Amino acid sequence: MTDVGPVTCAGCGLLCDDVTVEASSDRVRLRPECPLGTQWFSERLLAPADAPAATIDGEPADLESALARAAEVLRGARRPLLHGFEAATVEDARAAVALADRLGALVSTGGVAGAPAVAVRGASTATLGEIRDRSRLVVIWREDPETTHPRLLERLGFGGGEPERTLVVVDDRETATARRADAHLRWARDRDLDALTSLHVLQRGLALRPGDLEAGLRALVELLDAVPHATFVYGAGLTAGAGGQRRALALHELVRGLCRERHTVTLELPGTPGTRSADDVLAWQSGYGGNVDFASGHPELVTATRWFDDVDVTLRVAPGPTGSLLAGPGAEVWIRTAGAGVEASGTMHRLDGVPLTLQAPRPDDAPTAAAVMTRLLAEVER
Amino acid sequence: MSEIRISGGAVHDPANDIDGEIRDVCLKDGRVVDEVGPDARLIDARGMVVMPGGVDIHAHIAGPKVNAARKLTPDERRDHPVDRTAALRSGTSGLVPSTFTTGYRYSLLGYTTVVEAAAPPLAARHVLSELRDTPMIDKAFLILMGNNQVLFELIREAGGAVSAQLRDAVAWWLEATGGYGVKLVNPGGVELWKQNNGNVHSLDDDVAGFEVTPRQVLEAIGGAVDELGLPHPVHVHANNLGVPGNAGTTLETMRTLAGRQAHFAHLQFHAYGGKPGGLPRSRAPELLDYLSAHPELTADVGQVMFGPAVTMTADGPVAAMLRDLGAEEWFNHDTEVETGCGIVPYRYRASNYVHALQWGIGLELFLLGRDPWQVMLSTDHPNGGSFLSYPKLIRLLMDRAFREDQIGRANQRAIRRTALLDGLDREYSLNEIAIITRAAPARRLGLRDKGHLGVGADADVTIYHDRADREEMFATPRYVIKAGEVVVEEGELRLIDDGVLLSSHAGFDPEVVHVLAPLFGERYTVAFEHYPVRDPALREPARVVEARS
Repeated sequence: MTDVGPVTCAGCGLLCDDVTVEASSDRVRLRPECPLGTQWFSERLLAPADAPAATIDGEPADLESALARAAEVLRGARRPLLHGFEAATVEDARAAVALADRLGALVSTGGVAGAPAVAVRGASTATLGEIRDRSRLVVIWREDPETTHPRLLERLGFGGGEPERTLVVVDDRETATARRADAHLRWARDRDLDALTSLHVLQRGLALRPGDLEAGLRALVELLDAVPHATFVYGAGLTAGAGGQRRALALHELVRGLCRERHTVTLELPGTPGTRSADDVLAWQSGYGGNVDFASGHPELVTATRWFDDVDVTLRVAPGPTGSLLAGPGAEVWIRTAGAGVEASGTMHRLDGVPLTLQAPRPDDAPTAAAVMTRLLAEVER
Repeated sequence: MSEIRISGGAVHDPANDIDGEIRDVCLKDGRVVDEVGPDARLIDARGMVVMPGGVDIHAHIAGPKVNAARKLTPDERRDHPVDRTAALRSGTSGLVPSTFTTGYRYSLLGYTTVVEAAAPPLAARHVLSELRDTPMIDKAFLILMGNNQVLFELIREAGGAVSAQLRDAVAWWLEATGGYGVKLVNPGGVELWKQNNGNVHSLDDDVAGFEVTPRQVLEAIGGAVDELGLPHPVHVHANNLGVPGNAGTTLETMRTLAGRQAHFAHLQFHAYGGKPGGLPRSRAPELLDYLSAHPELTADVGQVMFGPAVTMTADGPVAAMLRDLGAEEWFNHDTEVETGCGIVPYRYRASNYVHALQWGIGLELFLLGRDPWQVMLSTDHPNGGSFLSYPKLIRLLMDRAFREDQIGRANQRAIRRTALLDGLDREYSLNEIAIITRAAPARRLGLRDKGHLGVGADADVTIYHDRADREEMFATPRYVIKAGEVVVEEGELRLIDDGVLLSSHAGFDPEVVHVLAPLFGERYTVAFEHYPVRDPALREPARVVEARS
């Protein structure tokens, strides 16, 4: 294969669709350059061609035997869980949720376990172009997109000359993103809730109890006061772990308060490139995003991790080199799937919700994860 | 495909001037035919009412806005689970149902065609994916064009006139997305909202940075749609929605578009007297007078129903207004170049002056309107209330005693400011209901095969028990036939029909891409060549309705 492009890269949730790929037998180069994208395409383009279609308990098997064995395990499952979705397309997620509905399974899209904060007070969000063209201040909260979403800052207009824009990073780590910041505010993660609620107090013009965070917070409020449009970028650094929902809620509450004086939006960095697509599909098919349990015959929103305690069979929905893996008591079935964006086309939702087509620069006969899920559904129903 | 003879029912087919006549309707291969063979399935419809399948001209059922509303309101849906069966997918109902449930519930109400009224073109793939998961109904979507920066540029360059480039651009956009029609939402106002929480307040306000006015956007895009001869005219959500005194803006918008075909969405929300910041009053009669004199204009009502609702709109500043009234949840999403989005869960209370006035204005629009072909039924689902409340709304229109009882329960200070206490004794006939729920919407959408039962029409038919309680009658059709197959019997889904996508097509000069590509490159974060939806799995099965010219 020589140069192909522009194609869409699913190496991270940014789904950059201006990528030209130059591949030889042992090397992949991307324009514009991106380490994550290069790695992503390398894994798919340089993979050995002699991988088996499937394995059963580690032994090579043909696709039909693997599907039959997987269906047998699923039929016997008491509490199956469908998860993964790391690079899943909308089509993969549609087929997976259909299967979960039939099985009465749990579905985890990689979203936050526990009640989502957005459902409590809502959120203000925007697509990348809105932020690039209007925000003069971007606050990145405990994320390192220079590592996880390498072209984010470029795509938000940083490093591109006029107009000037300010980057603030809140993080107590010395990250690659923090090194590019105009202001780097440092405090420990366990102070985030305090910081967010204090910012809320300050932006309302109320007095703040003196403390060690005060100077940094006042500086941030001054920066916010100087712009007509601002953006907060956040992700698992804020929302994961104990108290995550409260911290996310505090951020959205702060943004809502800031909106009174200036247009303010948030951008959530997803855990994996496929998270947003899977979460959107789960929401439209079931009514709920995040994690959903179909065990009672209808969808229920999963609000605590204990719902997962008695899972006995897991089915990891994964297109591309990792393939789809079913693991249950005494059985492990792996099925090679065509990778969306290289070996198969498909639709994915960018981290800001914009739906995009993935191309198939090197088509492959392996089934997509969607096709595997659809076959499994047919096998299970038989 | 099966043959069906619907025998002995009272047929209400106003598009063919049939008003309750007892006659047979024959169906074959998905169409209405003159006659069927002796082996055709016989449906004994004696004592029943036969109508074309329902057509919803304005609802919000699919796409990123609807899906954000689902994520925003899990508590609202918790009490409305829908179990899976051997044939049906599980889901959740309530105000913003999941996709499969949306299709099922519309079908159970006797609807066979529904229009999603506000889709960001950039999100077309998402809208199409959801519609693919919405069975039982044929579906179309309108694309949002009233705050599109690329179109602003073309309008400015042409000095506000309808240029060939603008016409070609509109046609290109429909082709690129699979959309059916063109929607304008608060033209110019949403762009200012996204800039710095601004808005426009009159048709001649400047849209900062673009040197265009809302009036120019209305004239140019409305004119382009008219000249293209699209099957559905420009569909307008006027400026100043919900603001007391906005009837003046609405009338001015009507005057601006008069002489061209145009449809006004949820007119109730645009029919207020009074002053901004003060208490509204009704100016519905003036709007109806104007419509009466201008048969080229139509509207749907956007009735509010007392109880819970979820407001969802491309009109970001309207949602912010509701947020500032004390809403618990507020969601905002800005889509680059094209549009905005705001969502606020809401409740209309009979005791509240404003809500009772809105309810009363909606009923005024229905009851004082002279021509039911011009004023169609909608609740702007789920903004004024769920589509599941249509049977109750029909009863309000058909049953004066029931209506007067309901009027008596609403805020009387508000009701006194409407015409509802002025001896308004009109009761809709079954034929008038058939007009406002199927015949008129189908005709206005340019769907020649829908909304009637003449030979050649789609075999979409709803058969009701003729019950005195019209709410019960319209809530549970005896049979629903979709594309020639019985899909509902006595409140049970019998057969799953996927439905088709309805798209429109107008010819355009392909050279327009050379005008659009550089304008895209400057503004979008998606490559121009990747913008159009080409995947057949998203665009088919579809029926493409050609433009007139």
